[in-house]
Amino acid sequence: MNEQETGTQTLPLLPLKSTVLFPYLLMPLSVGRKASLAAVAAALAAEEKEIVVVAQKDPGVEEPGQDDLYTIGTKAVVRKMQRPNEHTMELLVLGLERVAIIRVETGEPYQRARVRPLPLPEDTSPELEALRRALIDLAGRAVALAQPQAPPDLSQMLLGTEDPLRLCFLMASMFSLDPEKEQALLETPSRLEALRLMHSYLSHEVQVLELRTKIAADARNEMSKEQREYLLRQQLRAIQQELGEKNPEQADVEMLRERLEKAELPEEVRKEAERELGRLERLPSASPEHNVTRSWIELVLELPWNALTEDQLDIARARSILDDDHFGLKEVKERILEHLAVLQRNPGAKAPILCFVGPPGVGKTSLGQSIARSLGRKFERMSLGGMHDEAELRGHRRTYIGAMVGRVIQAIRRAGAKNPLLMLDEVDKLGRDFRGDPASALLEILDPEQNRTFRDNYLDLPFDLSKVFFITTANSLDTIPRPLLDRMEILRLRGYSEEEKLEIARRYLIPRQYRETNLAAEQCEFTEDALRHMIGRYTREAGVRQLERTIGRVARKVVLRLAEGQAEKVVVRPEDLADILGPELFFPEKMRRELAPGVATGLAWTEAGGDVLYVEAILLPGGKGLTLTGQLGEVMQESVKAAQSYVWSHADEFGINRESFKDYGIHIHVPAGAIPKDGPSAGVTAATALASAYSRTPARGDTAMTGEITLSGLVLPIGGVKEKVLAARRAGIRRVVLPKANEKDLREVPEEVRREMEFVFAERIEDVLAAAVPGLARPHAAQPAA
Amino acid sequence: MSRKVETVLFFAATQQFVAQTCWRPLADVYRSRDGWVVKFELPGVGREDVQVTIQGCRLVVSGIRRDWILEQGCAYHAMEIPYGRFERTIELPCGMEPQRFQLEFRDGLLLVRVATEGEQR
Repeated sequence: MNEQETGTQTLPLLPLKSTVLFPYLLMPLSVGRKASLAAVAAALAAEEKEIVVVAQKDPGVEEPGQDDLYTIGTKAVVRKMQRPNEHTMELLVLGLERVAIIRVETGEPYQRARVRPLPLPEDTSPELEALRRALIDLAGRAVALAQPQAPPDLSQMLLGTEDPLRLCFLMASMFSLDPEKEQALLETPSRLEALRLMHSYLSHEVQVLELRTKIAADARNEMSKEQREYLLRQQLRAIQQELGEKNPEQADVEMLRERLEKAELPEEVRKEAERELGRLERLPSASPEHNVTRSWIELVLELPWNALTEDQLDIARARSILDDDHFGLKEVKERILEHLAVLQRNPGAKAPILCFVGPPGVGKTSLGQSIARSLGRKFERMSLGGMHDEAELRGHRRTYIGAMVGRVIQAIRRAGAKNPLLMLDEVDKLGRDFRGDPASALLEILDPEQNRTFRDNYLDLPFDLSKVFFITTANSLDTIPRPLLDRMEILRLRGYSEEEKLEIARRYLIPRQYRETNLAAEQCEFTEDALRHMIGRYTREAGVRQLERTIGRVARKVVLRLAEGQAEKVVVRPEDLADILGPELFFPEKMRRELAPGVATGLAWTEAGGDVLYVEAILLPGGKGLTLTGQLGEVMQESVKAAQSYVWSHADEFGINRESFKDYGIHIHVPAGAIPKDGPSAGVTAATALASAYSRTPARGDTAMTGEITLSGLVLPIGGVKEKVLAARRAGIRRVVLPKANEKDLREVPEEVRREMEFVFAERIEDVLAAAVPGLARPHAAQPAA
Repeated sequence: MSRKVETVLFFAATQQFVAQTCWRPLADVYRSRDGWVVKFELPGVGREDVQVTIQGCRLVVSGIRRDWILEQGCAYHAMEIPYGRFERTIELPCGMEPQRFQLEFRDGLLLVRVATEGEQR
């Protein structure tokens, strides 16, 4: 084939490792490979000095064959050459035109390539021009970012390059593109495509550059900010010196010293504080210890070492405050007034340490507040519930990072007097783990002999807590450690009776809810029956929290009705409650008029007050032994067993034929089956039920009984007489059998209740049976009840 | 990147950057009594390889410098003389008479004498 016609040429081949030569551009090259050296020498030996330059696909290949090279390269002319030594050549080559490599001719000592020119079609379009300008713009930014001090004629030069393809090539060589990207640019089928490619490459470059510049700028800013601050501080110092002022740290110490001089401190404390102040002066303000010491001194200055509030010892006033704030709780109030009276006589007396025990919601905490009010003392309260770190009470030693003073001293500091009323809530819910036992720390705090010199770990100075009026509260005494219990005077707050709740609702809860909902008393009225209904059927609790919420719900409903246009006063009656509050939630045991043989009426005490419960016993023909059901606790089971043993062993006396029951088992059940029950006080009830079952004689339905029994038939006293009697009355029972020893407890029962009811006092089980099972044979030994 | 930019800047500064595919001989331009004399640095270029054309104000000198093997068995150790096609365009301030110019080769320099129209009158 004729070379001239097809334009094909055979020229020495120079493979490039990691760059691409573009047409129209000069490029310095360093040649070291033997074959390449020979190829350049051959090119130079020719008159035209032309050579074909092609990029390698993989720069790692030392002797590339046809497959290792791209198929499109550049025909170039060698412009300059020099050999710094035998093994290398430095060239300046000028790209002439794009060529397609038809064939690589392998030979010694160099390769030759048969190539065909591959010119790009001349295309023009508005898009081409637009892209060209965008590209110049972008390149200007890139150059500015990469080298802010670049000479302005560079962008001039770009601007002057009219041919878009040349512009692309020029930019590609300016910005370090990957060889792959450069090759892609060289291979583009049209100018438009070349511009697009270049534009996308350059956008990426600009983004990277912008990011880099931003990072560098940020770092610079940070640095200069610090330097600035330092300089300003230096200046400030100079100005202060010039003005004869002290620096702030010095002024700070001076201020503390002044406060220290004014403060009334015990001698020991003052000495220690002065020592620390001296230390503070020498400490540089940047040192972490500076702050620690400073806050310690502030604490010492703020603590009320000698500050006392004066007690208001007017007993009448105190009584009226207590009565205003709380209804009932007679016993507790009495005890508080006693203490007050003692303080009046002997102001130096130790403050008492009281412990209020009672179910939730009976007003333990608020009682503490009104005691403080009646005494005129500061009130501070802290909850110990869940606290399991001794250091929280007694503070951390100052050597620890983030050390803090203990909660007790904190409370004193807040109170600002050394004789506040300090309420320690939930003392029965103290935790205990490997970090220590806060209950043991409380031992020291609550011991009048020791707390005169209480040492907080952080404060590390003795502080006199003996003037603090401590009140702790607890729901139960069972979890309080004995030594701690021993230090406190226990005051039990029992649950409120229905009557008391009624009174509390009228006096406190309803007015409070009216205030909350902004109701006027003329707009709404609760009837007494409705309140009783709410207390009995919608709440079951010792306190009044649930009751207050229930009243609140009713009040809101009333507000809604008024808002909906009801004009007249809303009167809440029991029959309305189902509408407002939904169906009743609790069903108290009702008196069963006629009892079957084997059933007896018992009385139980719960936190929410008393309750009536029935003990049911039936004989199981062919069965064996004793079956107990109804979630009975261990004590109760044993008590029932004792009852059975007693009745069985004295069967003759009750006219029970033992022989006829030889082959019977017995089952005792106490409903409601889902509620756990425990305690010994159902002993007499179980005995009555058993006697009734064996003799097939029913017990009296209008008589309820309570009392613990012994195997010898004695009836022992029980607790909760008031609640039990009230529960019996509520259920409609008017006759109650009580242990003789409990006679005195009837004083607690309100007068009007006592008058309504008949009480039988029993010393022996026979007395109980006589009163409860009238049909039973009277054992000769038994005496009728008094 | 910056290294490359520097390279490019270097070329830009030495005016070699906007490379044509031809090389450009250096030239001096003289004003003479009746026109212009332009001297081109073209050693090693044969007279027969030079073309001179005038279009309006433009004087274009183009041609080719052929390299030749000095003697058998010698190879380049360094090369900086540009070979191959060259072209140089000189723009002169006013129109010229296309037919009236003279060429002269002297010691590797080409002298082109051009008579201007204005001087002619």
